[in-house]
Formats: sequence, structure tokens, C-alpha cells
Amino acid sequence: MSYIQFQNIHKSFGSNEVLKDINLSVEQGQLITLLGPSGCGKSTLLRCLAGLEDVTAGQIFLNGENITGKSPKERKMGMVFQQYSLFPNLNVYENIAFGLKMKKLAKDKIDKRVKEMVLMVDLIGKEHEYPYQLSGGQQQRVALARSIATEPQVLLLDEPLSAIDAKLRKELQTRIRQINRQLGITTIFVTHDQDEAMILSDVIHLFHGGKIEQSGKPTELYTSPKTKFAASFIGSYNILSGSDFGKIIGEERNAQKNFAIRPETFTVSPNPLPFTEGCHHFHAIVESHISHGNVLRYTLCTNGVSFHVDVLFRSFQLFEIGQKLYLSVEKKNCLEI
Amino acid sequence: MKREKSSSILIVVICIYLILPLLLTFFYSMFQQWNDILPSGFTTQYYQQLFADSRFLSALVRTVLISVFPIFICTVIVLLAMYVVIVYLPGLDRIMQVLCMIPYAIQGIILAVGILSLYVDAPEPFSNRVFMLTATYCVMILPYMYQSIKNNLNAVNAPRLLETAQILGAGKLRAFFSIIVPNILSSIVISMILSASMIFGDFVIVNTIGGSYFETAQMYLYKMLAQSGQLSSALIVLLFVTTLLISVGAMALKSKNKSSER
Repeated sequence: MSYIQFQNIHKSFGSNEVLKDINLSVEQGQLITLLGPSGCGKSTLLRCLAGLEDVTAGQIFLNGENITGKSPKERKMGMVFQQYSLFPNLNVYENIAFGLKMKKLAKDKIDKRVKEMVLMVDLIGKEHEYPYQLSGGQQQRVALARSIATEPQVLLLDEPLSAIDAKLRKELQTRIRQINRQLGITTIFVTHDQDEAMILSDVIHLFHGGKIEQSGKPTELYTSPKTKFAASFIGSYNILSGSDFGKIIGEERNAQKNFAIRPETFTVSPNPLPFTEGCHHFHAIVESHISHGNVLRYTLCTNGVSFHVDVLFRSFQLFEIGQKLYLSVEKKNCLEI
Repeated sequence: MKREKSSSILIVVICIYLILPLLLTFFYSMFQQWNDILPSGFTTQYYQQLFADSRFLSALVRTVLISVFPIFICTVIVLLAMYVVIVYLPGLDRIMQVLCMIPYAIQGIILAVGILSLYVDAPEPFSNRVFMLTATYCVMILPYMYQSIKNNLNAVNAPRLLETAQILGAGKLRAFFSIIVPNILSSIVISMILSASMIFGDFVIVNTIGGSYFETAQMYLYKMLAQSGQLSSALIVLLFVTTLLISVGAMALKSKNKSSER
């Protein structure tokens, strides 16, 4: 049996069914991500695991024990919220020590553990400051330290980095991953940011409309989306109907089918490309381009069908609007979904 | 800079506007005559007279007690009700808000007469005037206590803090009183002071319900007004000092709590 197991979980708020028959397993020490758009049920599942929401039906097992009806206190989990949720009347030291005091540990043990945590999240010298005196990133590190100070069985992170700027977010992503590996603590991370999920996770569970749309390792999910939604949410796939795809490659395709092609899988050249076995060859006109930092995204058009192509931002690959380009794409990269 | 200066001037003007009547009342109580521009005949006899009057001291003690008890009862009831609503029955929040706001719309005299006619023949302790008065004041200050505490609970995101404390191993009740209450202590103290000053200044309710059974400082003042202007001025100053001391005491208690937490 897996370390955490959700069995046939249903959760409704009135007539609104938020979770629909969720079955999910998490292995010990893994960092898994529940990924999906707002309102897909990912945070609700996390709250059900924490004991903050009761499930309407189904069971949750932790290390073989049924914890479905247990209170949050009995589940021994750590949780970090998006809004930090630090206690405003307590300073950094007291916030981190709160859970340890609840466990009735001796004062010297609490002191030792708090100091370890402060060191781990790099907040030395801030112990006596109050939450309002800290930046968003520092507050979130205190929240993280507080949640792991009690050595919880599972660490739950509910969009903890959403309110933090991009640079700091990357730092904290690295820190979360480090903590997960260093302590071997089973971690469940909720996010709507697919890049964040890709960076952090051992396994991603993609949620859509209260159901798990697809589960897998980040690379699996990225390279092999099974549904139109997965393709549109993970990466920036070109999702084309069969007839549009046929127009691009100049072959007949079933109009009922959809095809997903990652924009970076195209080979682009201003000159005709040599024929390669297993590839589709065609040409297109540049409609527009925008820069995404080190990547240039071109919108190209073939026979009235527009699609995106990503190329590395190198000076020799700057193409003009209206320029004719020659493209090829491997057939295996044109996924039928 | 210019803006700061104009704000300072405005604050000074407001302070003068608020303090001047009190200051003049104080001066009036310290002199025997004030028929010209300046008063004459400095004296402390009115204060001595008041402190020598056991009726005044009893009335003052009664006023303090009748202010303190309803406030504590109301605070405890509101906090417990808030705890139940936040933790167990969030759906009742709106109903509680409506219930707590009803007394706000009722005139003091209507409230007092209504309660008196309803409970005057009721069995003890409901027909007891002091009990009736305490309960009436509880009802009267309810909207102020509720709204102030409620606003602060919203500001600190109480449900989320409560969840966090629970996950960290605190029971619901402990989480509420060790985390939520210290964070809303300012609003509790301010609403208590506001309520105390309201009860202190009340004449209508205490006169209607208490009548001759329960003479408070306001009723004593009403009787003094007919006797001597200087004496009633001295009484007003003493009442102000008493409310000020209560407020300072409450604020000091709050600060002490905060510093001991830290």
C-alpha cells in the first residue's frame, strides 16, 4: 500500500461537486504536485488530507491507517498557505516554536529545534522580528520553518509561492526541493503554475473539473499529454483540428481528431530543408513574433492555419514578418489526442 | 512638509475644541464667582463637599460597577458566540449580525420601558432592578461590541489562523483563545472603553429602570444641577477623570499583555 492513498474521494459544497471520485497514491518521500486551474479541486483535496474539510465520500489512508475522520491535530501534518498565515502577535521565534509548544516539548529542545529551523530557512538574526517587519519571502520562509519544525509526516503546500515575486519564487522553489530531499519528507504541492510543477515534482497530477485528468512524471506529462486539456495546460502546445493539421502538412486527416504539437519541435529555416524520413515538410509565412526572454515565439501561417513555433533567440534566426520559412516536424511529435 | 503642517494645525484646533469646554468647566468648579472676564475666589470646597458626601461616593461606585459588569458579560458572550460561529457554524454569521444590530435601532427609552413592562412582574432575579439594568446594558452595548470585534476578526483572517493553529497541534478552543483573541485585543479593549463611556453617560435607562432603587452618578448629577452650578461642574470633572482612569487602565492592561506576550 502506498504511503498516502486517496480512495474514491468525493467532496461537495451544497450541490456543487468539487471532487469526483479521486483515486490517488503518494509514495513516501515523494514530492508530488496537484496542478490545475483555479476551481479544479486541487486545494480542496489538500484540505481534505489536512483534515480541514470533511470528505463527502471515500477514504484517506496515511501509512496504512485510515485518517478520514481524524482532526487536523491528530493527523500530524505540516501546512503552508498562500497568505503565509503567520500569527501576527508572535515573533519569528514564537511562530516557529508554536507547534513544538503544542507538543509540550521541553524548553531547551524547543530552543534547539527553532534554531535549527531558523538556520535551515536562512533567517538568522530575524528571530525577534514580527511578521509585519518581514518581506513576503521571509514570511513564507518562517511559515515553511514553522510547518516542518514539528517533523510532520507529510508537508502540504497550498500555492505557497503565488504571492511572491519571480526571483524569490525560484529561490524558494529550490529551498522546498532541498528540504524535501534533505528531510525525506513526503510533500504535496498545490499550484496552478505548470513551470513550477515541472521544476519541483517527482510526479504531477493534473486536475480538471474535480477529476484527475492525467498523472505522470513531469517529462511524461510534457511530452505525452493524453487529452486536449492536458496539452493546452502543460506547455504551449499547438492544438489543431484534424482538418487544420491536414492543411499544414498537405495531407488529408480525420477532422474529428485533434493534433498537439509542441512549438519547439519544429525545425525552421529560411532555405528549403533536406527531406528527412519520418518528418512532415511544409512551408509557412511569418505573421508575427514576440520575445519570451531567451525564446522567440513566431506565429506562422500555412494555408490559412496559424500556429506557433519557438526558436532560441539567436541573431541569425530573426525572421521578418511576411518572410517565407521552410519547416519540418517529426511525425512522432505530432500527437493525436 | 506643508501638508504635515496643516494636519498638525487641524489636530491642534480639534484638540482645543474638545478640551476647551472641559477646561472651562474645571475652572468654573475651582472658583466661587465668575461674573466678569476672569473668575474670582479660588476654592476647592466643591470637591471637598463632593468627597465628603457618601451619597456621591456610593453613586460613583455604583456607576463603575454597573459599567464594568455588563461589559464583561457582553464581551464573554460575544467572544463565545463568535467562536461557535467561526469554528462550527459559519452559516449563522449573518443571523448573528442581524440579531446583534437590532438594539442599535432601538431608542434607549423604548428599550428601558419595554424591558420594565415585560419583567417588572417576573420572578426573581429577572424582576430585580440591578439585574434588569445589567441585562439592559448588555443589550445596549451589544452592537458596538459585536461590530468592533467582527471587523477585527475579518481583518486578521481568523478562520485561516485558526486552521493553521489546529494543524500545528492546538485544539479549537485553545487556538481561538491563544491566537485569535490576542490578535483582536485592541478592538476588544476599544469597544469596552466605548461601551463604558456610553454606560457612564447614560441617564435615560438608569433613571427609567433603576429609578430611586439605584442612584448612579448621572442621576446624582441631575439632582446637583438644581443646587449649584459649581458643584455640578466639579462633579462633571470627577466623572470625566473616572472614565479617563478606566480607559487608561484598560489600555495599560492591553499594553502589559502585549509586552508580556513578546
